[in-house]
This record gives sequence, structure tokens and C-alpha cells, in this order.
Amino acid sequence: MANRITRRKFLISSGLAGIALKSPMLFANTSGNAASSPIMRRIPGMDESIPAIGMGTWITFNVGGDTQLVQQRTRVLKTFFDLGGTVVDGSPMYGSAADVMGEALDSLDAHDRIFAATKIWTGDESETRAEAARSSRRWGVERFDLLQVHNLLGWQGHLETLKQMKANGEVRYIGITTSHGRRHREFAQIMERESLDFVQLTYNVLDHEVEDRLLPLAQERGIGVIVNRPFQGGSLFRRFQSEPLPNWAGEVGVSNWAEFFLKYIISHPAVTCAIPATSKVEHMKENMGALYGALPNAGQRQRMADYVRSL
Amino acid sequence: MSGADWLSYSLQDFVMFGPQVFLRLFVRINQDLWPWQVLAVVAAIGIPVLLLRQGRNARRLAVGLIAVAWAVSGYGFLVGYFGPINWPAVWFGWAFVAQGVLLAAAMFSGGVREAALPSGRFVALWLIVVCGLPWLAVAESGQWQALALFGIAPGTTAAAGALIVAVITGPWRWLYLPLLVLWSLFSAAMFWVLQAWWLLVAPVATLFLVGAGSWLSPRTAQSPD
Ligand SMILES: NC(=O)c1ccc[n+]([C@@H]2O[C@H](COP(=O)([O-])OP(=O)(O)OC[C@H]3O[C@@H](n4cnc5c(N)ncnc54)[C@H](OP(=O)(O)O)[C@@H]3O)[C@@H](O)[C@H]2O)c1
Repeated sequence: MANRITRRKFLISSGLAGIALKSPMLFANTSGNAASSPIMRRIPGMDESIPAIGMGTWITFNVGGDTQLVQQRTRVLKTFFDLGGTVVDGSPMYGSAADVMGEALDSLDAHDRIFAATKIWTGDESETRAEAARSSRRWGVERFDLLQVHNLLGWQGHLETLKQMKANGEVRYIGITTSHGRRHREFAQIMERESLDFVQLTYNVLDHEVEDRLLPLAQERGIGVIVNRPFQGGSLFRRFQSEPLPNWAGEVGVSNWAEFFLKYIISHPAVTCAIPATSKVEHMKENMGALYGALPNAGQRQRMADYVRSL
Repeated sequence: MSGADWLSYSLQDFVMFGPQVFLRLFVRINQDLWPWQVLAVVAAIGIPVLLLRQGRNARRLAVGLIAVAWAVSGYGFLVGYFGPINWPAVWFGWAFVAQGVLLAAAMFSGGVREAALPSGRFVALWLIVVCGLPWLAVAESGQWQALALFGIAPGTTAAAGALIVAVITGPWRWLYLPLLVLWSLFSAAMFWVLQAWWLLVAPVATLFLVGAGSWLSPRTAQSPD
């Protein structure tokens, strides 16, 4: 049935579409039930929600002064924003990624669309502020939404300064990171003792050690969880992409492997956000697919894990 | 960090860029230098001619050109292009510059032999290196603009520079060797992680050429051609 579009109807609907594209948060659904709205997660104890899929920048955004690749990565970032993403994770450890992010944000004029998260990565515990300042110059952001102590390096000194910075309004949230399952015991002790907004750790369908201690602890302590290496650095695709998805994939809101891996992660009740990294627009579209639609329940999550482990 | 923590790291964790970005470094430096790489090609072909000529000045000029090649590929490629995506490349870049200075110092301090080289074998190996190795990056990237020329690309420069061990004498030679070995190990590990199999040929060739250079050195050469 043809639907006649009047000039008035067209102007109204295109205006609305424009608003929707510019501000995906406007139509956000924090419960994650409606198929058309992004799955949002509340930052524990805060009045603020963030999209459950963010992006990482390790390796993928370290392209140096290569203008052709900077433009291409800018398109990856644009796709991320257009599909409702906001949380971007970086670190001074990631080479030129911070400068590339700064250039991409400039050319997209998207400084107000990002939840900017970076890390403090220096053994010199008196360098916290200086390193944060260097990073904000490189990213071109006034202040970071989240500053995390990278891999617990010099965490005592950095955390003290970060707390002061948060109190002064120089940063909104603070946290610590680990990955690859390293130093979990010490990590847990810090989570127990310190007042943290976020922790970042590795969790995916194969690396699930954090389910035993760190994820329940985060829930108990009201700490947001950012999940790194959701694809185990890409190796999950290398191992499983040639395998078929289970025939019940549709029931858990999954239409490709990227959604399978990511929805497994963000459906854990302790997880706030997963940060897959990609250098490709097509992959970004696949990854952002996990920000929409149904999520598996506890029983279905178990089935997902069993399926992958059976392959 | 505890010992167990260190064990949880793999080589992968230390390579912070992807193969596409690395291979584009060759394309970019060639585009930016054009047409000056013609000079590098002329030097690469001229060096064996100079080395084989009798006379101190010709040999000095050849060794001087190799010294310049070390410095230019170190400062240009490693510090300027590779450094922004990989910090250790900056250290290697300055080590390449120091290697060039070392070679120049050897040249002016009597550290370069003047005896004749076994010319046939030396020229053959030299030409294989400077004409063959540049194509590895082309094979890996599928782009002929990625040609890794002697004097511009560090891998080809180090491999050709390894052959010159043939004319460097005792103590200077010992100072000259460590970078060749370190660079070969570093680049081999990097190419392994990047799964850039064609590029792996260059560090393997460099180590082989260190041996070949020592074997071709006039003192040990049994019968100069
Ligand atoms: N200690 C720490 O603080 C720490 C440690 C590790 C990671 N992190 C953070 O976590 C982020 C994510 O971890 P990660 O980058 O190590 O690994 P990851 O996100 O698990 O995997 C990234 C890899 O997956 C591939 N990929 C992404 N989407 C894909 C798709 N749809 N289909 C096929 N392949 C796809 C990417 O290749 P393509 O480019 O080809 O898409 C890339 O090689 C990092 O970028 C970083 O920000 C933090």
C-alpha cells in the first residue's frame, strides 16, 4: 500500500529522524527490552546510564600520522556514534591512538557525544595529574569522564590523586583496570577497600574466571564493570567464525557471532559495558548490533557458554 | 610485578599496531620521498662497484654511503614513521643513527680493511640483498609502492649493512655486531606476531649475512676472485 508523503509530513519525520540520529540517548531504554532502543546500563549509585556497548582503541586506533587511515578510523568512530555508542576507552600506552581519537573527534565535531575514558599508565605516582592533562590535550577533551589506573601500575599514589581530582570536579568517575586474568586477588582487595566507580577487567565466553569473585564483588560494592577483550583480542572469531550459530540464536537476540559474544557479556547483571575494538566499519556495525534487541536470560547464557565450549 | 604475572604476557601483548598500519609505512615514506629514492637506488648499485675498486678513497666512499644509509633509515623510517606507532622503534632508530656514526668513525680510524674482497661472491650477495629484499614488503602488502629500498627501509639496510662486516676490523666489528643481532631478533619477533611471513625473511637473511660477511672478509678469504 502506497503511503503518500506530504511536504509537512516529510519535514516533521525527517526532523525527528535527525534528532534521533544526533541524540540516541533521547530514545534510550534503560531496561534493554525494546528492540528499537539501545540497551543502557545505569552506573551504580548514579543517576546516569551509558550504552552497554562501548569501544576500545588498543591497536585499532594506533595508526600514527597516516591521514588515509585516520580518515578511515574516523568513519569507524562515526558509525559507533551513529549507532548509539558513547563510551570510548583508551590509554597513554596505546601509542598514537589518543592523537587519532583527538583528530577523529575534531573532524566529527563530536566532543559532546563521547563518554571519554582513559587510563593513568606510569610507575611515577606523582605524575597522575600531568598524565591526565597530557591525555586530555591529545583527545581534545576538557576533562575525562573516567580515569582508570592501568593494570594497577602505581595504583596507591594514583588512586589518591584521582580521588582528589574527582572531588575537585577534574574527572567524573575513577577506577582501576586489569586484563588477561592478572592480579585478581590484589584487584579484589582494592575493590573491597577503595571507593571506586568502575573496574575494568577481561570477561568473555571463554575467559570467565571473574564470574567467581570479581563480578559478584562489583555488584555487592556498587561498582560499574567495563569489560575488555570481549573477543579475546579477536581470537574468538578466528576459532569460531567458521562454525554455525546455534539454531536457537534468534531466541537470544543474536544474528551473528559478534552479537553472540557481546550479548553473552552484557547480559551478566554485574556488567555495565563491553568495549570491543575494531578497525573496520563493517565490524563496528556488527558489534553495535549487540546494543539492540533481546538479551539472553541466565539459563540461555549458560546454554551459550556450553555451546561455544562444545565446538 | 610477580614472575607469574610476567609469564601471563605473550609476545602479542607487546605489539601495539596491526600489519596494515605497518605495511603502509613503506608506502607512505616512498610517496613522501619521491623522487629522491632514485638516489638510494644509485647508492645501492654504486656501493659494490666502489668497494671492489682498488684504492682507499673508493672504499671509504662506499663505507661512508653505508653509514649514511644506516642513519637515514634509522632517523627517517624508524624515528619519523615507525616511532609514532611503536616506541621501541624510536630507540632502534637512534641506534641505527649511532651505527652509522660508528661506521664512519671506523672508516676514519683505520677500522676498515683495505685488502681486496672476494668480488664475485660479495657482489652477488650484495645484489641479491638490495634487489631482492625490497620486494618482501611488496609481496606482503600486494602494493608495489611498498618497495623497501636500501637506505630507506631499515630491514634491507641492516641486511646489506651486515655484509659489510667483511671489511670491518677486530674491535670495530664487535661494536658493529650487537645492533645487527638485536634488530634481527626484534623484527623477527614483530613479524611473527603480525604473521607477516614474507617480512620474516629479512631478519633471517641479516643473521645469515653476518656470517657470510665474516666469511668473505679478506683475512679469512682463501682465494680472492
Ligand atoms: N589492561 C587494560 O586496561 C586493557 C587490556 C586489554 C584491553 N583493554 C581495552 O579493551 C579493548 C578491547 O580489547 P582488545 O582490543 O584487546 O580485544 P577485543 O576487542 O576482544 O578484540 C579486538 C579484535 O577483534 C576483531 N574484531 C572486532 N570486531 C569484529 C567483528 N565484528 N568481526 C570480526 N573481528 C572483529 C578486531 O579486528 P578488526 O580490527 O579487523 O575488526 C580486533 O582484532 C581494547 O581496545 C582496550 O581499549 C584494556
